[in-house]
Amino acid sequence: MSEDNVNNKTYVEGDEQIHIRNLHKTYVTDETSVTVLEDFTLDIRKGELISIVGPSGCGKTTLLRLIAGLIPPTSGTITIEGRECEGPGSDRGMVFQDFALFPWRTVRKNVEFGMEVAGIPKEERRARAERYLEIVGLQDFADSRIHELSGGMKQRVGIARAMVNNPAVILMDEPFGALDAQTRNLMQAGLLRILDKTDQTIIFITHSVDEAIFLSDRIVILTKRPASIKEIVEIPWPRPRDRASPEFTALRKRILEELEKENVLQ
Amino acid sequence: MFRTAVITVTTLVCFIMAWWDVAVLLDSTAIPTPMETWNALWDLIENGDPMTGKSLSDYILSSLKTLLQGFLLALVVAFPLGLLIGYSRTLREFTEPVIEVLRPIAPIAWAPIFILAVNYTVGPILVVFIGIFFPLLTNVVFGVKKIDNNLMDAARTLGANQVQVFTKVMIPSSIPYLMNGIKVGLGIGWMCIVAAELYAPQLGGIGFYLSEQAVAGFWPGAFAAIVVIAILGIVTTGLAEFVHKRISTSMGMSNV
Repeated sequence: MSEDNVNNKTYVEGDEQIHIRNLHKTYVTDETSVTVLEDFTLDIRKGELISIVGPSGCGKTTLLRLIAGLIPPTSGTITIEGRECEGPGSDRGMVFQDFALFPWRTVRKNVEFGMEVAGIPKEERRARAERYLEIVGLQDFADSRIHELSGGMKQRVGIARAMVNNPAVILMDEPFGALDAQTRNLMQAGLLRILDKTDQTIIFITHSVDEAIFLSDRIVILTKRPASIKEIVEIPWPRPRDRASPEFTALRKRILEELEKENVLQ
Repeated sequence: MFRTAVITVTTLVCFIMAWWDVAVLLDSTAIPTPMETWNALWDLIENGDPMTGKSLSDYILSSLKTLLQGFLLALVVAFPLGLLIGYSRTLREFTEPVIEVLRPIAPIAWAPIFILAVNYTVGPILVVFIGIFFPLLTNVVFGVKKIDNNLMDAARTLGANQVQVFTKVMIPSSIPYLMNGIKVGLGIGWMCIVAAELYAPQLGGIGFYLSEQAVAGFWPGAFAAIVVIAILGIVTTGLAEFVHKRISTSMGMSNV
């Protein structure tokens, strides 16, 4: 892995790609109204991997679905590269915890889905799908059915399917949460390798502080519901990171303590 | 596999022996022995029906034709309607009361009305249509309601518009459920066709042969017709079952 391009990212003011401004989300039913997100403002830089951690049920997934445009905000705006987002679009790819692959399509046809609905000609679709299948190491499984793949392979299809459309940002909703610990570590290392080859911005939701520290340029710690930003932790360390190093364990301990304070059960 | 085969054969042999026993004990002309039935069936296969000059295959093809017409009509109406009802909550709320009133009516109850009020060629097709329509409709509606929301979200984040979500996610997702409906529907449709033919003698068919033989008091012939009906019923639903399995497996949805 070439560490140089991932590590020493320098940012200048105004370099941000995504602006989230004063985002509110309140769910209203007949009897109750629940505010999940309150006055959430965040700028995301181009090419960074930003993780979002927070206590269970704090609204992480709601935040991601808002950015994806799958649900409308109660108020506030999301701007990507100067354009305000309304509804879902192929400029924001999404990777789902339960993979959400189309079981009746082959691996290749899953990856081609976005290009297919965009009306891209067959030859180009095929070539681009081929390239991204190679990036995630699944070129030999292009014609396999989804149910023939392991969990880790399924999520690699999910990542290739999102990346192939060349979105401005990929939203990952606990993408490795359904995988066993060993596969999870392999997938994390694999994701860093992929990011080395591209310059993809990623918003990454996780329950695992360990995973967040291992992967992220920045970690956003959320408060309990209604969620707002408690702290943003910059991690300028080179990759790959040593999970056993003193600074890694110290940071993990500190973030876990912060989250503990937000635990609603206490 | 071997175990199932042994059990199936044993049960069938026991059933035929019991039938034989009852026929001999009651000594009634209305209950022929399996041997008499077999002879009548063989006679039908060899010589056809001397009263009409038709062969067994004429009767079978006539019944299957009505079944196929009713089935195709039900498919063409129920599949799109089921997709729309499953998709639109409003449409579901409007149609549900009507469907719930009509669905429990035995399709055979429509036979005299359709056949006498419409005519004897279209009437039986409509009876079969009613029989197959509701299992198809309810299965497709159920299938659409069961669609994994994540798949729809995935399609939307990949840039699919409403129409594309409908054609590329909802329709494929509901096909295994449609196949399940076809399996159930064909079984019911087969019952309907025989019943409808009793009311529409002009149409012919195996149901006609059954009633003709019974009216003439030739019970072994009537029983032979019932054996033919049973075998065709097994073949039809078995075929549908096979196709259903093949399609859901090849679509990676073998759990449906």
